[in-house]
Amino acid sequence: MASHSVLNVSNLTKYYGHFKALDAVSFSVDKGCVYGYLGPNGAGKTTTIRIMLGLLKPNQGEVQIAAANPSRDPVHALQSVGYASELPTLQTFFTAEQLLDFMGRMFGLPMQTRREKSRQLLDLVGLKEWGKKKIGKYSKGMVQRLSLALALINDPMVLIMDEPTIGMDPEGTSHFRSLFTNLSKEGKTIFISSHLLDEVQRICTHVGMINKGKIVFTGPIEQMLEAFTQQWVVEAELEKVTETVVSGLRALEFVNEVKVDGNKLMIELKEKKDVRGEISSEIFKQEGVLLSLNLRKVTLEDAYLQALKGGQ
Amino acid sequence: MGGLGRVGTIIGYEWRRALAKKKILALIILAIAFQTLIMVAFSRLVGTMFLTNEAGSFMWISGVLEAGLFVQLIAIIVGGGSMSEEYEHGTADILLSKPITRVEYMSGKFLGGFSLLAMVEALITFVGVALSLGFFGAQSGLQFAPIMFLAIVYSSLIFFCLSFMFSEVFRGTTLAILLTFATLIASSVISPILTFLYGISARAIPTWAATNFPSLVMSELITAPSVLPAGDPEALAQASLIIAVYAIVFTLIAGYRLLKSDVTKKTA
Repeated sequence: MASHSVLNVSNLTKYYGHFKALDAVSFSVDKGCVYGYLGPNGAGKTTTIRIMLGLLKPNQGEVQIAAANPSRDPVHALQSVGYASELPTLQTFFTAEQLLDFMGRMFGLPMQTRREKSRQLLDLVGLKEWGKKKIGKYSKGMVQRLSLALALINDPMVLIMDEPTIGMDPEGTSHFRSLFTNLSKEGKTIFISSHLLDEVQRICTHVGMINKGKIVFTGPIEQMLEAFTQQWVVEAELEKVTETVVSGLRALEFVNEVKVDGNKLMIELKEKKDVRGEISSEIFKQEGVLLSLNLRKVTLEDAYLQALKGGQ
Repeated sequence: MGGLGRVGTIIGYEWRRALAKKKILALIILAIAFQTLIMVAFSRLVGTMFLTNEAGSFMWISGVLEAGLFVQLIAIIVGGGSMSEEYEHGTADILLSKPITRVEYMSGKFLGGFSLLAMVEALITFVGVALSLGFFGAQSGLQFAPIMFLAIVYSSLIFFCLSFMFSEVFRGTTLAILLTFATLIASSVISPILTFLYGISARAIPTWAATNFPSLVMSELITAPSVLPAGDPEALAQASLIIAVYAIVFTLIAGYRLLKSDVTKKTA
């Protein structure tokens, strides 16, 4: 992956009246990254995206896409950007083919390219049979699929997606996910704002987290998992939980706490270290019969919730 | 693609968008029906004390001018939805997140709407002339029909620009159309009252120039006392200047609003 960034957001501050929606937001996205932009409702995700697209004017700070500022020079900055909005509303008087053709024109594509790209993209998003139908007859999910096709008409270097799979059926979500993975393999930089943490964890290489208009974290996803996870937990299932096993485990120096739930033990560790071998030995020593032993994987959701609480 | 190409793309878009609206098509049909009705009514009066034979040979002017009211209505509806409907439907985001400047976008919108209006007026002029030939036979002064067409198009600039300005300033189509209609009606009412009560010539009020400019132009070109008043070059110059000033001011206000403010999210 190349190290130079294609998207730079520096010190963005935006007020709506007296309300400070963004407070000195800064981050950068390297070429080829899949960057997940996370945050609760009203945190400032959409505001950031709309400034990135030149739709809103920041009170302070600036955005650079491919070394151009979209507010001052949208023609150069947005030439290689594709954008799919949250719950898109498209021009219902067009058919999908007509709208793709129109958007292709906006990017200055020649007619032959527009036709070829339209066919390819409608096929890619599963709307091949619907190309000649008016968009007014489409379902929500179909509009979202078409919105992605529109975002790809100019073969963008940077793809910006605001909640791309919201309200989409599981099949569509899975289709989109594999599509993003493929686009990322082609070297495209993808910026996704999403609430779906599982989805972000699966496809993103980097994350940025915003809360109350401030960036809480930006960096590789592993770094976020590391930074916002306080402790690791080992889950042990025994044939029968005895007092000796519990007290034996509590006596181990790396164990912080042991919680009992039926025949299951939740062993909280003092350090982020895989000590399943030592734990199984101790259980065996205390004559317990171990059925299963798992190090509970840290999810992005855990880290996200921790980050929202504000603690590292 | 250069700036002109992008403006051209938006002009084409604006045409499709406006023509997709049934109310504009309905108004065009109404205008033609109205023209036909006038011609049928007047054709019964030719040769009577109400309509001399001389007037009958200039009926194309009446046919075109009478439908001018519909052109003003279409101007208001086209201008009133041009900018605001994009905000209301959330499509402004899609358009303005493309490589296009706001000036190019607004120019395309303005020229698209206005050229559509010109095409509608061309149709109305053509139908007016055709009907007059059909009902009244050979017509006089037909060589001035293109000038008449241009004069009506120019006169429609005031209310088109006013509606366009309200559309961008308030970003609500219904409000923009209502406010422009209110201005049209209010200025139509105030103008004669001012003239009657105070002897003030209320020429600076928008309606005067918008409604009188085409007939002032034709009065300069054609001498037909039974159809048109005598020419008044001073009034013609005033009307032409007033239209230009209003159009420029309204357009600049709309442009200032677009350039200086955020693109609002879907409002409808």
